[in-house]
Amino acid sequence: MKLLWLEIFKTFSRWRTYIAFGFIALIVILTEIVMKLSADEIMIRMMRSLQKDFLIFGNLLNGWFVTAFIMNSLHIHIPFLITLVAGDIVSSESTSGTVRLLLIRPPSRSKIITVKYLTSLFYTTAIVLFLACMSIFLGLALFGSGDLIMNYATRFRIVFIPEAEIPVRMLLAFAAAIWSMTVVASMAFLFSTLAENSIGPIIGTMAVVVVFFLLGNFPFDFFRALSPYLFTTYMIFWQRFLDDPIPWQEIARSAIILGLHNIGLFLIAFVAFNKKDITS
Amino acid sequence: MVLENRVVEEMKDSLQKEVVLRTHGLSKKFGKRWAARDLNLEVHRDDVFCFLGPNGAGKSTTIRMILTLLMPTAGSIEMFGMDLHKNRSAVLSRVCGIVEKPDFYLYLSAYKNLEILGSMTRRIEKEKIMETLEVVGLKARAFEKVKTFSHGMKQRLGIAQALLTKPELIILDEPTTGLDPQGTKEVRELIRRLSHDREMTIFLSSHLLSEVELVATRMAVINRGELIAQGSVSELLGKEATEYSIEVLPLESATELIAKLPWVKVLSAQNGKIKVRVEPGHSSELNRLLVTHHIGVSSFSPHRTLEDFFLKITEGTSEI
Repeated sequence: MKLLWLEIFKTFSRWRTYIAFGFIALIVILTEIVMKLSADEIMIRMMRSLQKDFLIFGNLLNGWFVTAFIMNSLHIHIPFLITLVAGDIVSSESTSGTVRLLLIRPPSRSKIITVKYLTSLFYTTAIVLFLACMSIFLGLALFGSGDLIMNYATRFRIVFIPEAEIPVRMLLAFAAAIWSMTVVASMAFLFSTLAENSIGPIIGTMAVVVVFFLLGNFPFDFFRALSPYLFTTYMIFWQRFLDDPIPWQEIARSAIILGLHNIGLFLIAFVAFNKKDITS
Repeated sequence: MVLENRVVEEMKDSLQKEVVLRTHGLSKKFGKRWAARDLNLEVHRDDVFCFLGPNGAGKSTTIRMILTLLMPTAGSIEMFGMDLHKNRSAVLSRVCGIVEKPDFYLYLSAYKNLEILGSMTRRIEKEKIMETLEVVGLKARAFEKVKTFSHGMKQRLGIAQALLTKPELIILDEPTTGLDPQGTKEVRELIRRLSHDREMTIFLSSHLLSEVELVATRMAVINRGELIAQGSVSELLGKEATEYSIEVLPLESATELIAKLPWVKVLSAQNGKIKVRVEPGHSSELNRLLVTHHIGVSSFSPHRTLEDFFLKITEGTSEI
């Protein structure tokens, strides 16, 4: 526990750690202000496809809708922010030479690598929770509350979620988003364990995430056949909590697959770190 | 005769002392190259043990194996009577060290660095941290970020982190490398104090023969990964006449005085500096004589290169 606290203290003593929080705060504030200023235009666009078939009353452009919109928009960008710390947490010790000071102490390498991994997960959780708090509270303050209408155009579905259900669903969606992002953190962490500098793990992880996202979204049969084997396919399972009815089986399957990725990636990092010769 | 008795006494003393570090056939191979091969080292309690060798000889590789940063290809390491790899945590709680240059978390203060690193071994009181910083002369800079420190200050902070947990054995990898003369002097003084006042066993590597002569009690010599010699400093170095470079004022009086001494030979005398060859055991006597004859001595340093020493011991010209 003490080791974990020391690692968290070190991580949060670096200004680099706060880049992600600053970026999220900036993007959320800008997005919500722009949406507030362009509320009429957004409403017209939203209603254009719905008005033909539905009669809609009430506050459609509310804080919950804005939150869902931001989550959808940022699910490619948040991984990059996570890699800034998870991709750096082991390799920066090699680059700065402090790894030599760490590994000649009584705590075993296994403890040190586990504590570093837990710190990466802690940071990932903090980032997603910060995004949740910023977007929900600012959204509700600027746009008020209301029912949530999700238009899943690619699946030809419109989902209506009553206001009373939204807080719990949002909570579950953000919990799922944290779980998804831990896979990115695990991958960046593995690369960080293998590398001696921080740039490689950050670029490497982002390259894998972006390429997998692209492969999984190409509208060709070959790539569609590939998509079940790409972890990015399961990373958007948080969206299923804003579906109706909630597809629990699909959610559980995605969560398990992502969990297995986490275990696999961490185990490789664990073994590699324990066997690593420190020559830097 | 006196010298021989001293050597015998030292050897007896060595045999009686507890062995705190022992390596058995320690070897490390990188690819096809042996960086260290079949090393059998023995460090006794209270030794200032110098591991001497030129750059690339395998000193750092050996130290890294001793501190578990590298896995040996073959052989074993025993510390305080325990196998290092089977009792890693117990052994390392009694050891501390600096490998190559001392690197710290530059974005943290000296105090925070010590707090983090020290508490990985045991609970450390604030007073203890400040006390240790005082020992190495960094108390006034305790709360400044390490990124503002000079190399010499980092080196002293490195020694501070090694002292913090009161280790029984301190391992220092070339502790004076990159330091200016003042920094070098301070670090050597500190090593002497640690050994003498705190009774710590010190294992340090160096490529400077003069450093061995100034601080070490026992030494081992390594070249191309292989152990060439091991023993007390007087055993390995003391049997030969040593050359010294002495800065004196006035030069003429000093030269005149030295020329009368049967155990000294003047090699050269110019620009306020005399180069002499002194028989073993007489260097301190020479220094004393110069001072008592009111001759100002501003420096008195041994002048022998590692290359010369290697040549002698590898060619068998030295009586080891």
